[in-house]
Amino acid sequence: MWLERLQNIDRRVIYVVLFVALLIPMLKPIGIPLTVNPTTQQVYDLIESLDPETDIVMIGMDYSAAGSADVHPQAVAVAKHLANRGIKSIMVAFVEDGPMLAERVLKSLGDRVVYGEDIVNLGYLAGGESAVKKFIEQPATTFTRDHRGTPVANLPIMKNIKDINDITLIMDFQTGAPGYQEYLRQLPPGGPLYGVGIVTVSVPNVMPYLNSGQFAGLLPGLRGGAEYEVLLGEPGEGLARMDAQSLGHLVIIAFIVVGNVAYFASQRKEKKAKG
Amino acid sequence: MKRSVPVLIVFLVGVLVLATYFIESPGLKQVGSMLNNWGVIITAFAVGLACVNIIRIHAAHIANQRTGWINSAVLLITMFLFIIVGIYSRNNPSNEGAAELFSNLFNYAYSPFSATMYAMIAFYVASASYRAFRMRSVEATLLLAAAILVMLGNAPIAEQLWNQFPVIGSWLLTVINTTGQRGIAIGVAIGGFATSLRILLGFDRGHLGIGD
Repeated sequence: MWLERLQNIDRRVIYVVLFVALLIPMLKPIGIPLTVNPTTQQVYDLIESLDPETDIVMIGMDYSAAGSADVHPQAVAVAKHLANRGIKSIMVAFVEDGPMLAERVLKSLGDRVVYGEDIVNLGYLAGGESAVKKFIEQPATTFTRDHRGTPVANLPIMKNIKDINDITLIMDFQTGAPGYQEYLRQLPPGGPLYGVGIVTVSVPNVMPYLNSGQFAGLLPGLRGGAEYEVLLGEPGEGLARMDAQSLGHLVIIAFIVVGNVAYFASQRKEKKAKG
Repeated sequence: MKRSVPVLIVFLVGVLVLATYFIESPGLKQVGSMLNNWGVIITAFAVGLACVNIIRIHAAHIANQRTGWINSAVLLITMFLFIIVGIYSRNNPSNEGAAELFSNLFNYAYSPFSATMYAMIAFYVASASYRAFRMRSVEATLLLAAAILVMLGNAPIAEQLWNQFPVIGSWLLTVINTTGQRGIAIGVAIGGFATSLRILLGFDRGHLGIGD
């Protein structure tokens, strides 16, 4: 009977155990040490190699509020790195939530940047891949005003951008479409480098693009953001949530193991009973 | 006429835009760019159309007092609140109060609710994993082992138990997974090419609402 019960644990029990396992480290962080993966190190080294005098980075704010728990820490960490190095960046969104999340990133930068000179939030352009194509073809004229209503002509940072080749790196944070496929189809050969920060669940799908060199770098989900915070030396939301992710994974694995042990034990019992 | 004119328009526009990628011609590029701009404008109008549709459907729910009409009322009130505050703050950038209100609505209402809906998936995944990952066959065992190793590779706490977990997880992702995903990506691309060709040539007319 116990074996039956262990194979069919009420889902509410699983929900409660998982909830407690996630909640405790959020309230009382454990501080589990984190090592940095080569993929995150690659993005960090890429930004370290940029020249603050000549290079401009486009930050694609293409993630939704739903996926922000996974991707927002990456965007904040990368934006901080760019700001610390004095590299100018323009933030563009092809997803509706993008501009507001960009404002959240800007808030976390504080006094590191001067808006309009070091960084700008151009806002959202509807149209999916058509919008991506339009911006890549005409980055200087696609937006007439930024998200805050300032005419683009009055923004010093935009004076240096005539075409897409004036942008050295596109660092795109995304949760769905438009995403890496749309960008890769529209970016010209020999154009800007393209790096991606993506939700954990999509990481397996994009590995071929990293392997082939189409991605200059990849930040994998919440762990990527946490690792970047370690590299930056500025702990933030990413690191704070990694303890919860660790325990959550362990709980899921524990339930799977319990279910399988009970399954095998019951199979053995049935075989013995049959003789 | 009713069927052939839309199909002809799709063919001409599709071939024109396609040609811009293969033929270097300033005139052609200009036409392609113009068509692309129309696409951007149409998408923006589609957002407005979606709003009208939502109002139509949910207003009918409220008017007929169907089950769950209160949810429809909450949806419409929230939608109008965001639209009115958003349009006002966008057109009055000097009004900091309006901008702050919209920001608060996004950061303290919309964003947490959106994240919650997405986060609930974790609980369903936990329950589904527990029930689905049973070693009933060799293939199921391999799948289970791979899933557990990738999860352990991603969890810092596992690294403290054995420092090879991240190495194994990374190998599974970069070698085994990439091989399979590459094949899937190529297959999807070929399928997409075939479907696009069918649409351009008029064999597939579902998008026009007139069937094959």
